[in-house]
Amino acid sequence: MPNENAILSFEELEIRFTLRGQVLNAIRGISLDVMQGESLAIVGESGSGKSVFTKSAMGLLDANGAITGGHIWYGGKDLAQFKTEKEWLTIRGKEIAMVMQDPMTSLNPLKTIGDQITEAVLLHQGLKGEAARKAAMDALAAVGIDEPERRYRQYPHEFSGGMRQRVVIAIAVACRPKVLICDEPTTALDVTIQAQILDLIKALQKKLDLTTIYITHDLGVVANVADRIAVMYAGDIVEVGRCEEVFYDPKHPYTWALLSSLPQLGVKGQDLYSIQGTPPNLFYEVHGDAFAPRNPQALNIDFVERPPFFQVSPTHKARTWLLDPRAPKVEPPEHIRQLRQKGGYPHG
Amino acid sequence: MVKYIGKRLLRSLLTLFIIITIVFALLRLMPIEGYFQNFEKMSATQIQVGLQQLGLTDPLPQQLLHFWQGAVQGDFGVSHKYRVGVDVLEIIAGKIPLSLAIGLTSLALALLIGLPLGILMARSTRTRWKIGDKLGTVFVVVIQAIPSAIYYIFIQFYCSQLPGFSMFFDAKRPLTWILPICSLALGNVAYYAMWLRRYMVDEANKDYVKLARAKGVPTAEISRRHVFRNAFVPLVQFIPTSVILTLMGSLYVESLYSIPGMGGLLVNAIQIQDNTLVQALVLLYAAISIAGLLVGDILMAVLDPRITLGKKEGGR
Amino acid sequence: MAIFRIKDSKTQALADSLDRQAQRQFTQEELFQFAPYDPGAGERGGYSDYSYWRSTLRAFRKNRVAMFFLCVILATLLFTFLEPLLPYDREPNTIYYVEQAEINLFTRKPVLDEKGNPVMKVSRATDRAPGEEFWFGTNSIGQDLWSQIWSGTRNSLFIGFSVACVDALLGILVGVLWGYVRKLDFLFTELYNIFDNVPQTLIVVIISYVLRPGMGTMIFAMCLTSWLATARFIRNQVVIIRDRDYNLASRCLGTSTGRIITKNLLPYLVSIITMRMALAIPAAINNEVFITYIGLGVPLETPTLGNLVEAGRKVMGEAALRYQLFIPVVILATITISFYIIGNAFADAADPKNHVN
Repeated sequence: MPNENAILSFEELEIRFTLRGQVLNAIRGISLDVMQGESLAIVGESGSGKSVFTKSAMGLLDANGAITGGHIWYGGKDLAQFKTEKEWLTIRGKEIAMVMQDPMTSLNPLKTIGDQITEAVLLHQGLKGEAARKAAMDALAAVGIDEPERRYRQYPHEFSGGMRQRVVIAIAVACRPKVLICDEPTTALDVTIQAQILDLIKALQKKLDLTTIYITHDLGVVANVADRIAVMYAGDIVEVGRCEEVFYDPKHPYTWALLSSLPQLGVKGQDLYSIQGTPPNLFYEVHGDAFAPRNPQALNIDFVERPPFFQVSPTHKARTWLLDPRAPKVEPPEHIRQLRQKGGYPHG
Repeated sequence: MVKYIGKRLLRSLLTLFIIITIVFALLRLMPIEGYFQNFEKMSATQIQVGLQQLGLTDPLPQQLLHFWQGAVQGDFGVSHKYRVGVDVLEIIAGKIPLSLAIGLTSLALALLIGLPLGILMARSTRTRWKIGDKLGTVFVVVIQAIPSAIYYIFIQFYCSQLPGFSMFFDAKRPLTWILPICSLALGNVAYYAMWLRRYMVDEANKDYVKLARAKGVPTAEISRRHVFRNAFVPLVQFIPTSVILTLMGSLYVESLYSIPGMGGLLVNAIQIQDNTLVQALVLLYAAISIAGLLVGDILMAVLDPRITLGKKEGGR
Repeated sequence: MAIFRIKDSKTQALADSLDRQAQRQFTQEELFQFAPYDPGAGERGGYSDYSYWRSTLRAFRKNRVAMFFLCVILATLLFTFLEPLLPYDREPNTIYYVEQAEINLFTRKPVLDEKGNPVMKVSRATDRAPGEEFWFGTNSIGQDLWSQIWSGTRNSLFIGFSVACVDALLGILVGVLWGYVRKLDFLFTELYNIFDNVPQTLIVVIISYVLRPGMGTMIFAMCLTSWLATARFIRNQVVIIRDRDYNLASRCLGTSTGRIITKNLLPYLVSIITMRMALAIPAAINNEVFITYIGLGVPLETPTLGNLVEAGRKVMGEAALRYQLFIPVVILATITISFYIIGNAFADAADPKNHVN
């Protein structure tokens, strides 16, 4: 049963795609609680299934993908059982909204910015006519766009990338959602703009009492915004914990490897660390710990049985046999421990 | 915007100018018997005198100049065979209204049927068995792959046996308008349906549609307010092509149904080898095609906000 | 059954070792000992068995309608070109005569001589219905339609293939020049803008009018501007591909122009060219039928599908003679529809976007 403080709760979720006639196991039994009001970051490399995972909560999977097992609890309802569009329309925008990765393509090029925000206002705020127009302009102002009157009538091609992302955020916020999913919100933007956008989302979260889920592969972003971190690998969550727990006391070898790849941890004159090998091909069924073949310190059992979650603290758990009492003691690499001693977040 | 349209207009004029010159060059190659009513019975000197009268023995640059002057003043010479001595423009002018009426009605009909068909097909691609899409595709394939000449023949032959219809056109009997107009429209119906379907399917996969879904817009509304509208804009580009399709179809259809229009006239003029009439009609057809393309581009600029400004920004 | 389902050979060995590891019976103690680490095993997932041509073929083969029409067209082509070897084959333009009873034009009864026998008379074997002697019957001047039709099909296909080949050759040549030589871009673009405005049918009409009608004229007239569209298409592809980041990247890595052309450009071009060639054939046949109707077609001594359809159209009013229209129309439609469907199906199959599922 879901945790009572959780606003959104995934339970043993499985998602499969059919691709080129083969079945791809994109999400392999994920359980995760998203707490009311928190900001959670889902971290993982490309193709680990972060986007698919969150999209499933909005019924936005591509046509060749489907939830094949588990539950998604939201407001007492199991979203995984939703079949019709009518059911999903009670969730999309209204309860859960999304900011997408590429602002250059996520706005309709032939409609004015104003129209596109007003569309959301009309659907979710119950306003009409002039009032809706006003609300849309307020939304523009709220995301820090000057001269909303003039901007309202402009087309997306008249906006820069950062401005467009602000518009996308304005649209999401204009829906008045409770949960905001930000799918790599800064990846497509200039470094100088990234911080502004993150600050904007943080400010809006506070102001509107939102729960935010960030999807990212950028640990700098995570350190900046997240209360909690979920590390994802090959369609599974391998470690969850509070931000400082995951950064300072990581337990899963994959988290070690991920943190070791931070350029900031590199020593001048030495090669940067990179994880050996490639993520498993999800066309093949994964047994045991998916990371085992890339892990020099893998145990025999890692190849045989999927590790359960071992609780490290009330808020911190990891899926690795290394936490089993029978396992030999393996220390995280030296530089990971240094990270803790330095006591600073790896700001990107 | 005005600058864009002006530039586009200039290019059309230039095109027309070059086409006139090329038609002039072709004119030199035309069989000379096409200038005389009873070529077979004339002696060599008579022919020479006749050509001189027509100015066809002057030096080429002078002839070209004459031809341009004539074109600008709307003087394309007189018919030598069809109606001897009558100004070709006068002959053509009498035929334009009917051709225009039939052509425009068929275009309107094509849009009226083609667009809903395209939407239906695009919608159907997302249903389980895609029946609508499959049936529509069969229609499109048949119409596009089989030479129009062939289905025109079959429509004329079999449909004219229905009560009230006729193998031949009679301006006073409204029912006889139906077959030629429908025949002409068929090709364009298939054309619009095919492209609208393709564009709608393309648009439906774009990111902004995903965002619209994420903000909770119902699918029906997405397809109406976003997908259809965006798919319709590039479709405007095809208006010129469908004008051309109608023009070329009218050559066949008009002569098949004995419609006293321009298309039938051209076929007639070719068969009796009336050089000046052929030449004037070819120029006219080329001019209509060019005008069609011009209108298409201007419409496009009006409908798509990115076009005028997009150029300045260096494109997308 | 293997626990790891592996489809490609390269990773088979790695997968087998993982399988063995997974199926080995460990004791409780062994389970928590370090496993031997093989850095190569980590690469197992990274290998993709994607191949452009294999996926294109696979996508095409999955299209059952297209496969059906491919078989149909191959059979038709084979038969069309083998037909002259059949023992039945006759010279298409020969007019056949038969000895038959003379019919009185008014009474519609056989004319009888003094002895009461029908008067026999040698006359043209016109409008004979399909039967044992003339498989597809004869036409209105007594020529054998079977031979006429297959000879006409060969001629029409010849026109179609010639146009398609010229279209492809000129199109590629000019298109690549147009795309690669930046100085020529303006000139070609303006030229294209001018000539693209004129309907192709109109050009075919005027050329056929000015020159003497014949196969050569027909092919020339159709080729004159049809390659423009192909060249434009290829030019756009060349420009897009030339400026794509991945080509810039591969150039930065020192890839030779030749390799960029063969690896990055050619796959696109081959599919475009194949598609356009497949579609040029029905278009050429369409044009031919139209031009023949106007009266500018190939002279009647050369049977073509256009000539046959036109001849059939003239006698269509009489129900008994409709076979003269139907037979060539069925063959013509089979050819045009097959090429049209194959061309489009191939275009779809060649698009990497459709290699997904």
